[in-house]
Amino acid sequence: MMPIWTKSGKKHAVTLLKVQDCHVLRYISKEESGGKTAKLLVGGKNASPFSKSEAEMEIFREAGVPRKQKVTTFGVTDDAIIKPGTPLYAAHFRPGQFVDVTAKTIGKGFQGVMKRWGFKGQPASHGQTKTHRRPGAISTNKAAKVYRGKKMPGKMGNIYRTSFGLKVWRINTKHDIIYVNGSVPGHTNCLVKVKDSTLPTYKDCNKNPPFPTFFADGDEKLPEDLYDEEVFQFTDPSITYA
Amino acid sequence: RINSDGKPAAFQPPPKPVIIDKQKQREERRFLSPEFIPPRGRTDPLKYYIERKDMIQRRKVFNIPEFYVGHILAVTTADPYANGKVNRFVGICIQRGGKGLGATFVLRNVIEDQGVEMCYELYSPRIQAIEVLKLEKRLDDNLLYLRDALPEYSTFDMNMKPVSRLEHEEIPVNKLQVRMKPKPWSKRWERPKYNVKGIKFELPEKKMEEAQKWSQPWLEFDMLREYDTSKIEEKIWKEVSEELKK
Repeated sequence: MMPIWTKSGKKHAVTLLKVQDCHVLRYISKEESGGKTAKLLVGGKNASPFSKSEAEMEIFREAGVPRKQKVTTFGVTDDAIIKPGTPLYAAHFRPGQFVDVTAKTIGKGFQGVMKRWGFKGQPASHGQTKTHRRPGAISTNKAAKVYRGKKMPGKMGNIYRTSFGLKVWRINTKHDIIYVNGSVPGHTNCLVKVKDSTLPTYKDCNKNPPFPTFFADGDEKLPEDLYDEEVFQFTDPSITYA
Repeated sequence: RINSDGKPAAFQPPPKPVIIDKQKQREERRFLSPEFIPPRGRTDPLKYYIERKDMIQRRKVFNIPEFYVGHILAVTTADPYANGKVNRFVGICIQRGGKGLGATFVLRNVIEDQGVEMCYELYSPRIQAIEVLKLEKRLDDNLLYLRDALPEYSTFDMNMKPVSRLEHEEIPVNKLQVRMKPKPWSKRWERPKYNVKGIKFELPEKKMEEAQKWSQPWLEFDMLREYDTSKIEEKIWKEVSEELKK
């Protein structure tokens, strides 16, 4: 995480996400998947092919791509279908866009009710016998049962969670890095899924994104760094208020 | 000169004068700002490389002078709510924290009997100028104990003139022992964990011995805490100095 300053002098915290060897693996049509839209399987970071069975390696062999550590699906409209085997780059996103980021949260193991659900517990003194971090009562007398979904101790973390509506401040095309506003679930160097935002406030935010994606062998030559309009670039002199 | 034979001796040229090149001596003294050194962790070194590029870019446009804890600095920042839109603060640097672009330094001064500490970010674009008014290192790495010292040690004139200094001299170390206000203090500075050398403790011997009970003499031999930064510093120093010369 890094600080980033806007031209008005405000500071925002920014997370760096690196796009590492992403390729499109397979196209699944609408009828095949049984959903509302067609799907594209996309694979992330390269990994060793020796610890996977032959059946699982088939997908990678058909696409002509080394084995990937993580495979996710993206719901795609028919005009945005990409041929399997095309690499995906950070330039697919542009500064000023809004993005949802999904990842597995940091696993905390088996945790008690105070850490997992934020219960208040009991006082430390004044006669409490062996009861300082317990949940207390779990249901009423009339219910005569414990409701499903009652908050109780259990395994915490290591589940998929999404941060919605994060602004993209800056993109580095040379190293394929996306600067995303705020924090993102997961530990450092974990694998993360970045999608265009589905929030209704940001429905009309994308002005001319690269569609269907940014092709590296195309005619577009992008500069090394793409900044949002409001971002203070370090080549400019210090800010003054008129 | 005449030899024992009576013949004149061969001409011996005078010994060559030894020239001490002061410029070379000055170059040998390297200073790498502490925020360039990456902390110990499992982050990808690519992140530190990119952060360093941004820091060097900012340093090319805006001069951040070399300074340590104990120097007296004057910082002018752009402030939308001040007269003339510019705010100037003079103070002694108490501590330098943070790594990378978020590096900060805290300046302390006593204005009209009120102690004031301002925390500035080194790479913030709102800073217009940083001037070093007086160079002197102190015995400690952070001078947070000045909060509990007598206010005369933290008062500095706001219109102080910069003290002139020759380029190649080493930075002088001020071995000042500061006198404290009566206890209670904000932290127990006599305890060995703070390792404070710049206080003149006027406490009785018994209290000093009792404070030594909290000493942890095994800490300096703990191998897992070792973080040798000499090689990393060399690499980063070369990278930074090459980029800044361009």
